[in-house]
Amino acid sequence: MKFLKPFTLAVALCASTVVLAQSEPGLTDKSIKLGVFAPLSGNSMAYGFDVLNAAKMYYDKVNKEGGIHGRKIELVIEDDRCNANDLLAAVKKLTEQDKVFMLNGGSCSGAVVGAREYIERAQIPYVMLNASGDGALYPPSKYIYGAFSISQRAVGGSMVQFAAEHFKGKKIGYINHDDAYGGWNLEAAEFQAKKLGVDLQVQSINPNLTDVTAPMLKIRAANPDVLIITTYARPVSLLVKKALELGWTKPIVIAVNGTADLKQLVENVGNKDAFKNVYLQEVMLDVAGGAKLKWVYDMYKAYYPELAAKPGYPQTYMPYGIPSAMAVVNALKGAGPNPTREKVLTALSNTKFDSGVMAGPIELTATDHAGQKSAIYLKFDGEHMTVIPGSYRSLWVYQPK
Amino acid sequence: MNLSEIWLFLQQGVLSGLVTGSVYALLAIAIVTVFKTTDVPNFAQGEMFMIGGYVALSLLIIAKLPYWLVIVLTVPIVALGGALFQRVVMERVTGSKGVGVQLVIATLGLAYTLKGLVRQTGLGDTPRSLPSLIEGDPVIIGDAFLTRLDVAIFVVAVMVMVLLYWMFNKTRIGKAMRAVGMNPRAAQIVGIRLSHIRMLVWALSGLISALAALLIAPKVLITPDIAHVAILAYAAAIVGGFTSLPGAVLGGFVIGILENLVGLFVSTNAIVVAPFLAILVTLIVRPQGLLGGKPQVKKV
Repeated sequence: MKFLKPFTLAVALCASTVVLAQSEPGLTDKSIKLGVFAPLSGNSMAYGFDVLNAAKMYYDKVNKEGGIHGRKIELVIEDDRCNANDLLAAVKKLTEQDKVFMLNGGSCSGAVVGAREYIERAQIPYVMLNASGDGALYPPSKYIYGAFSISQRAVGGSMVQFAAEHFKGKKIGYINHDDAYGGWNLEAAEFQAKKLGVDLQVQSINPNLTDVTAPMLKIRAANPDVLIITTYARPVSLLVKKALELGWTKPIVIAVNGTADLKQLVENVGNKDAFKNVYLQEVMLDVAGGAKLKWVYDMYKAYYPELAAKPGYPQTYMPYGIPSAMAVVNALKGAGPNPTREKVLTALSNTKFDSGVMAGPIELTATDHAGQKSAIYLKFDGEHMTVIPGSYRSLWVYQPK
Repeated sequence: MNLSEIWLFLQQGVLSGLVTGSVYALLAIAIVTVFKTTDVPNFAQGEMFMIGGYVALSLLIIAKLPYWLVIVLTVPIVALGGALFQRVVMERVTGSKGVGVQLVIATLGLAYTLKGLVRQTGLGDTPRSLPSLIEGDPVIIGDAFLTRLDVAIFVVAVMVMVLLYWMFNKTRIGKAMRAVGMNPRAAQIVGIRLSHIRMLVWALSGLISALAALLIAPKVLITPDIAHVAILAYAAAIVGGFTSLPGAVLGGFVIGILENLVGLFVSTNAIVVAPFLAILVTLIVRPQGLLGGKPQVKKV
């Protein structure tokens, strides 16, 4: 009878682990329920509709390959319309009504930030889809991970790195917004500039400014080697146009924030001469549709043949959904055959992988929950884009105050 | 900052300020004209300006009309829209003994409706431009420069102001508008139809808004949120004098120049604060505005 004692203990231990796993919401021995959300309708649909489609096709691929430790991923999908109220309602419904195991969604930073408090209260793991979400990532929350495209901090840091390294710039002009976004990218830009010993000449402007004569004239008077613009699309157009009018011929580097519609940017500026020395920040490892990203676009065509045949599809940000879904899958795998939310959070804080989509590796730690910090740069002549070799990484790290 | 830089900033700031200021002045005229004849501050002025841009854009992109025809059609369409709003909404609110606040709320309703309409079209998802009225090499004035478009904006805006001045002072309809603004009851006694004049005033406001949009859209681009330009027009009207048409013009130029000089000599962050500071200073030092005449006291 002696041998029975350890055997009974082992059985009891296994059983208790199974019971514990089963008690986690959204988890059965056959499935893991994930709550996913993005803007699927409304004006901001372009930011997330196809990003969610990309995540869906990746989850489907994982399911076809056998799932995660034998469990299939089951998605519950909600529309957040890139609106803080709708996103919070979606998060609450998925957590309380659908009882999902974890959340994966959100394409707009402003909307995502509004859900932080609830997520912390509900203690549910949340991995952003493609929102940069600096406001929800710093200071780090145990439950929230994101910035798989790039954080605003990394936008600023990477751009200064590129300007200093590629153009050998010693004095860099920097035009940002005077809102939270602008503050975030400037924080890392100043950090990077200090590290590199570069003089940063900053002009912060309101996003609604109608006349950009003053900031552009001041930048020209400061005579920097290169100009960085991290504003939204409208001010980018106005500044590039004004730069041409003022006879500016030095390089202009435009952040990913302002390049969603390049055709419209060129139309708005109204003169291709303005693009003689313009560079664009890109957070993926190649241009959209380029050779290195062919596998993503081929996968999209295979999963959504009807959608892919429509003009305007896949949408620009589509590939961003892949690294986010990869992070979720890796964390679920890392949590082992009997996952709990705690184990997933621990796995998330030890994430490092190359997505094959983004410019740099996806790295998540216990103290930094923003996934992607690198960017590549493209020379843009108003029509064609040429990739500049190399990727440029932001050095800024969160320092608890 | 050395002396030559200061001189350049000063010249460029004033010249560029005159250009944007001329558009603020046009919109301020529209605000003041509606206010003087109806006693209603039109909080949809910015949206009327914005819709002018989007009507032109729709005719250009969707209807694919030539730009000269777009200009010819946009102005009457927006003017007709303004007149209809007065006839269908404002007249009814006034007729049902609506108080002033209801009329103001009606203009706010118009503002949200117009913004919502534009968002539904899908044209508002990205900033867009209209073709420039004129191309060519920049014009150098002193050390500063202006584009040909800048010069065209200024010249056309000033011409419109002169035409409006002529209309208000020399034509029967203009005089009738002024009479309604001065004393509606007396105007009615001498045979002026108030509803007719008010409708015309709203049409005029639409006309000016459309012209302003056509002039400046190639320079500032249009988005559904561009209506915030009206805040600067309000600042111009308050600084110049809310009851004075020449004051509105002066206020427009003051605000345009002030924005640039503050941006150049103080900080670019302070540009958006400058018009509000100007309002505050005006209200403290000269509440009736620069050309507003003596403060008015109404008998109740």
